[in-house]
Amino acid sequence: MSQVNKSIQEKTEQLTKLVEWFDSDDFSIEEALDKYKIAEKLANEIESDLLLLKNEIQIIKKNFDSEK
Amino acid sequence: MEKSINPQPIYSVSDFIAVVNQTLEFAYPSVEIEGEVASFKVNQEKYVFFDIKDSEGSINCFMTIWQLRMPIDNGMKVVVLAIPKLTQWGKFSLTIKSIRPSGEGALKKSFELLKTKLEKDGLFSLERKRLLPKLPNHIAVISSTGAAGYADFIKILNDRWGGLLVDVANVKVQGQGSPDQIMRAIDYFNQQKKMPEVIVIIRGGGSADDLSTFNDEPLVRAIAASRIPTLVGVGHETDQSLADLVADVRAATPTNAAVILVPDKNEIIRAVTTQIDLLEPRIIQVIDRQISSTKSQLLGILDKAESVLNKQILHVLNLKSILFQLNPNMVLNRGYAIIRGVIKKGVMIEIETKKAILEAEVKNVTGK
Repeated sequence: MSQVNKSIQEKTEQLTKLVEWFDSDDFSIEEALDKYKIAEKLANEIESDLLLLKNEIQIIKKNFDSEK
Repeated sequence: MEKSINPQPIYSVSDFIAVVNQTLEFAYPSVEIEGEVASFKVNQEKYVFFDIKDSEGSINCFMTIWQLRMPIDNGMKVVVLAIPKLTQWGKFSLTIKSIRPSGEGALKKSFELLKTKLEKDGLFSLERKRLLPKLPNHIAVISSTGAAGYADFIKILNDRWGGLLVDVANVKVQGQGSPDQIMRAIDYFNQQKKMPEVIVIIRGGGSADDLSTFNDEPLVRAIAASRIPTLVGVGHETDQSLADLVADVRAATPTNAAVILVPDKNEIIRAVTTQIDLLEPRIIQVIDRQISSTKSQLLGILDKAESVLNKQILHVLNLKSILFQLNPNMVLNRGYAIIRGVIKKGVMIEIETKKAILEAEVKNVTGK
């Protein structure tokens, strides 16, 4: 589960960098289309990851009523 | 003589005390009594003595300092859980198992006393506060799983984010023994090999008495001592507990705790979609800008070429005008004549006018 969350974080960071590229001095029309396609794919992946992920809730079996 | 039968047993003093205590234990294994504290004192920093009284009676009480979970002072209304006992000196007293302030006034006074004490110990200082993980993967929740506050927290947590491992310690969150259960749960999570990244302690709203669990001194100190950062969301927005004050982060409510803990996936999806939606016009904008810049450069070149050409044309026109002026016919037109031949007396010369060419003889030549 944690790996998935990490992956979402990584993808989000990657997408942010890509979007920043479009505003940077490195921007070039020649590369823009490829970068746009990658960004679009990442955005779709992030959305589907987020919608699919469920929390895993487990109740601890230990009885906290006494020290044992 | 008739043998006398005594139906009443004769006890030794200590036996009688023991019998009384047995009877008391049978009748009242433990008893809760509400009254006002008087003659409160602590001996040798270990033993606590006080009287609990009302307008018509008073009973001696004894307990150890470690059983005192909240500050108690004279005049405070309290509820004691106690075992009644006759001491070996024949004094009736209550051995206190637990004591808690009773009524709003006493709770508030106890709260203020403990707050001042903990504040002096630096437990609320901002330097102690740790940041919660930006996006945790593994969290611990300490709450009563049957409580509305817990249900609210889990609902909002699930609505906002997924992929979390949530370990839940189901504990009492009010009443006798609840602080100890919460403390054991804190200790349990702090002892784990794979510790959660944050401990969330939550319970919904309740009366001041219900929420007094979260003003228990050992519990407040246990929250402060947790190696794992803590997030506490107890009661409603207006409620304030000492557990709130000592936590690394305070949430106003259990719902607010979930909001603080994780981002909203729907907001992230919206933000990501907006980012992508803005890229296309940005690319088009750049292309338009480049087209416009190229156009403007071309126009500049054209303007320059036109200007050079115009200059050339003007120059040629000037030359043409000069040439025109130099045309001999123009001189003839103005009435002048062209003379060809040697200007010498007796020589024949040719004279050209606008309209005719004449032959003439030079009769005389005079210098000017």
